[in-house]
Amino acid sequence: MAIRELKVCLLGDTGVGKSSIVCRFVQDHFDHNISPTIGASFMTKTVPCGNELHKFLIWDTAGQERFHSLAPMYYRGSAAAVIVYDITKQDSFHTLKKWVKELKEHGPENIVMAIAGNKCDLSDIREVSMKDAKEYADSIGAIVVETSAKNAINVEELFQGISRRIPPLEPQQNGSNGAVKLGRQSLHQTNRCC
Amino acid sequence: MFEHVQVIHSSEQEVCIHISCVSCPHSIGLSILKKMNTVDDNEKVTDVHEQTFPQTEAAEKSFSDEANHETPLNYQDDTIAATTDGSSLTPSKEGVEEKPKKLCGYLYKLGMKGPLKAWKYRFFSYDDMKCNLLYYRIATDVCALGSIDLHAATFHFDVEAEEGIFEIKTPTKPYILKAINKHARMYWLQQLQRKRWEYCNNPSKIQTECIMSSDVHDREGSLHFGDGDFLSPVTTPTDVVGKMVALMPAPQESTSLQNISLKHPWKEIQNTVRNMCGSKPTQAISRSVFHFEESEQVSAEVTTKQFGKMSPSLNFARKARKQNGGFSSNLENISSDKLDNPQLQIQALTEELKSQKDLVKLLHRTLESAQEEKRVCAEYLSAPEEKDRLELIRHKVRQIEDLRQRVEVLQQEKQDLEQCVSLKDFHIEELKEHVQLLMEKNSAKQLVIMKQNEQLLSQMDLDNTTSSGMDTLHGQYRKIDSLMDDINAYKTQNRFLNSEIHQVTQLWRNTAEKETALLMKCSYIEARNCQLESKYLILLRKLQEVLPYLDADYCEVIKRLIEDALQSDIKTPLQPSNVHFSPISEYDDYGFMIIPEYELEHLKLLAKIQALEIRSNKLLTHDVVDKPLRIKWNSLEELSYSTDLKNLVRCGIPTEHRKRVWKWLTCQRINFSANHYKDLLKKCESAQHPATQQIELDIHRTLTNNKHFNSPTSEFIQKLRRVLFAYSWQNPTIGYCQGLNRLAALALLVLEDEESAFYCLADIVENIMPTEYYSNNLSGSQVDQRVFKDLLSEKLPRLTAHFEQYKIDLSLITFNWFLVVFVDSLVSDILLKVWDAFLYEGTKVIFRYALAIFKYNEEEILKLTDATDIYQYLSFFTKTICDGRKLMNIAFNEMNPFPMKLVRKSRAEHMEKFKAELVELEYIKREYVKSKKELRSTGNDMGVSEDEEDT
Repeated sequence: MAIRELKVCLLGDTGVGKSSIVCRFVQDHFDHNISPTIGASFMTKTVPCGNELHKFLIWDTAGQERFHSLAPMYYRGSAAAVIVYDITKQDSFHTLKKWVKELKEHGPENIVMAIAGNKCDLSDIREVSMKDAKEYADSIGAIVVETSAKNAINVEELFQGISRRIPPLEPQQNGSNGAVKLGRQSLHQTNRCC
Repeated sequence: MFEHVQVIHSSEQEVCIHISCVSCPHSIGLSILKKMNTVDDNEKVTDVHEQTFPQTEAAEKSFSDEANHETPLNYQDDTIAATTDGSSLTPSKEGVEEKPKKLCGYLYKLGMKGPLKAWKYRFFSYDDMKCNLLYYRIATDVCALGSIDLHAATFHFDVEAEEGIFEIKTPTKPYILKAINKHARMYWLQQLQRKRWEYCNNPSKIQTECIMSSDVHDREGSLHFGDGDFLSPVTTPTDVVGKMVALMPAPQESTSLQNISLKHPWKEIQNTVRNMCGSKPTQAISRSVFHFEESEQVSAEVTTKQFGKMSPSLNFARKARKQNGGFSSNLENISSDKLDNPQLQIQALTEELKSQKDLVKLLHRTLESAQEEKRVCAEYLSAPEEKDRLELIRHKVRQIEDLRQRVEVLQQEKQDLEQCVSLKDFHIEELKEHVQLLMEKNSAKQLVIMKQNEQLLSQMDLDNTTSSGMDTLHGQYRKIDSLMDDINAYKTQNRFLNSEIHQVTQLWRNTAEKETALLMKCSYIEARNCQLESKYLILLRKLQEVLPYLDADYCEVIKRLIEDALQSDIKTPLQPSNVHFSPISEYDDYGFMIIPEYELEHLKLLAKIQALEIRSNKLLTHDVVDKPLRIKWNSLEELSYSTDLKNLVRCGIPTEHRKRVWKWLTCQRINFSANHYKDLLKKCESAQHPATQQIELDIHRTLTNNKHFNSPTSEFIQKLRRVLFAYSWQNPTIGYCQGLNRLAALALLVLEDEESAFYCLADIVENIMPTEYYSNNLSGSQVDQRVFKDLLSEKLPRLTAHFEQYKIDLSLITFNWFLVVFVDSLVSDILLKVWDAFLYEGTKVIFRYALAIFKYNEEEILKLTDATDIYQYLSFFTKTICDGRKLMNIAFNEMNPFPMKLVRKSRAEHMEKFKAELVELEYIKREYVKSKKELRSTGNDMGVSEDEEDT
């Protein structure tokens, strides 16, 4: 079986549970007080997909807004981006929209976007309805799932969904090579400096 | 039992006491040869030599098994010593090491338990082997009623208490004992001190000492018991202590009902039964108390040998004595002792010779006169005629007459002399009377003087006090006397207590030294153990990696071993024995978890390996490196910037000084008013900074591997909140940046006080770090990443090439090192050392250490030939660094030269470039958005929703 490395970055507002989702996916573990990510953290996990093995190279980023300027380093060359919001926080959904916009503007052209509404175990105090999320996701052509890193709900499914969206090997390579012209150029400069 | 004691011979050197036992049916002759060595007045050694002479072998057999019993007085050794001593009873005995006498005797013991608090008369005996003072009801008892452990006891006596009372305080229980008088008490106390000293300084006693370092041994060798400075040794009160006492009949009291131990009924019965059994064959008693089979044999041999050599006359005497039956055996015994001592023998023989000579002289004289007579007779007989014979007779008669006259004259003379003598006697008598008279006169005069004196005194008294002056004077005299007595008593007590303190302090010091030596040894062993264990775990890890390629059997075994290894990981910190003397615990001094928790099994093993390596490093460097550093630190009083201090700080500040030094460093740069922090807190109450929410979100996620921060109710969490809130108003443009929470938390852990932590945080952000490090676009931090990249290519070109080959962007990894100064990247031990230097020298320390971290692992990284592997390795490799000293060495030596000027210059250059890029980027973005809008205006783009435009 061929192993394919897929770079995935996690974006989203602070404290929505990006690191927790990664931790649940990679280590199947949940820590209530997982340290806030500074800069970024890197983890990998290999999952089978069809007759391929997908090795996810996951870059988990910092949520605070002033770290956004670093984000291009992480989503550059990414096959997929998981944008996380907290279903109990309307603000985080707004931040998500900002991220989508940035990715559309500067991200790789064929990047697979997945929207994860985390903390679905707390649906009692929900602020973002599933319907809103679904509608928005459909409008941008993204995957959408409500997850709970705490209760291990839909985390695996989220990444399986990404795996399924990844086009077969040949076109993918072409696609990633021919990324957004404008964005790529600017990002290239940025990254060289960072 | 002993009814008749007779001293049959006494001389300067030996006293022979003959004790005949009338009551015993087998008529045992028991002789005690007591030799008084007068080597030293103070150290009179009393050896008791005893022998019994069992009449029948059967009797001997009947109690041969009795010999196995332990008795309070084990004489076997001492009797041998006595026999060998006897042969060397020469004046040159000084310098010969004397066998210490047995410490035993009767004392009163205060019953501590039960309703009856009464003095009980007990026989006490000291056991050398265990340093115990055993006590028995009577000396002949076999089983001790109890024992007092002396090795950790202290001794004390009170002047005001009843005479002879003293106290032995053991860690578990105090014992109150009473000797019959002060002197005996002092003797006991001194002896007990001496015994304790001997025991405590006997290296063979303590098994663990075999692993002591040699210098400790040397020290011990030079130590000897010395309390002579305080109290001269007391002479042995032979009537109350020593083995002789055991021979005496047990005092009446000891058998009375109240003296019977209520606490030890079983031992009481045992002892009673044994004594009763013993009374049938009386030897058994003496047997059970005193063993001297060996000495018996020796003396018997000696006796037979000596008999062979004895002169005929002595032989005769021996025969004569033998006829006296049992008595002779004693004399034989004495002579046997004489043989033991050749000098005595020579003396006896010389006397014998002398008397023989006298006899010979006498016989010579008799022979001479007889020969004279014979000659005269012969002359008479040989005379030829009657006339001649008559002539001869006449001659003789004349001679006789002449002699008679001379006798008369002499008698006359004698009478005269006698008269003269009687006259003189009379004269002497007269003189004596005269003297008597004078003496009487004198005493009368003295009486008069006394009376006059008294009168004078009374008169003086009368002058002072009108009535009963004499009485008060006498009373005062008495008082003075008693006070003097008291003073003396207190003086003695004082001296004794001084000696006690001196000795106990010395003992304590010795013990402390031993303890430190043992601790050193222990930590070394522990370090070795850690090393071995980590090696074992590394092996396990290697095996774990190749697990999929192994047989199922091996897999099973390895998995079990790994499980075991991880299990013990949990148990080790909980062992109570370790907690006592080594700081093995789950957390370090600042509350950081020593073994980080990982979920993945291979990471767990790694964490444990690392923890073990850190521990072994720490243990091994503790004495060699840390101690001298600590000494230097302790000698530092005033802190001031200097190369010395800089170098010291680079090595890491000892935990106990870190707080002080950090505070000092902060105060050097920060200059706030006294109420600055309080004012900021007030401001926080009145107005919320927009960053508040983010702070609240992060507070509970700060240093979660530290015990002070992992509980939401912890005091540190509250402090951290206030510090961060205060800072958000201190610098509203920064407000709060993720990462500041970690800086503040670490400052809090070290400084404890929240105000100091706040100043430290402010100092770092505003003074140490370049501007815009934590501000809105983190430009300062981003610039530093570029500076670092340049430095890396300069210092570690090989690694830079390697990274370039695999297109590794290091800033992804190193960005947060710089932002939070390695918090959460390095293990706490090394982290704090980095911070020490960072607070002293500033940001270049971060560059130095960042470079050092790569250098430290350079070879490892060069081995990796895949971008993902490299990223994976880099994402955790900082935590694998265990050798803080090695890292420090690389950072501050191998990375030299490291001029700050270049860093500053590079920073300025990059900042300029960065700003230019930002402007360019903004421009490009704007262009892009414009082009998109243009695209959208043509109505092609459906991807962007209206929501996006809103935000």
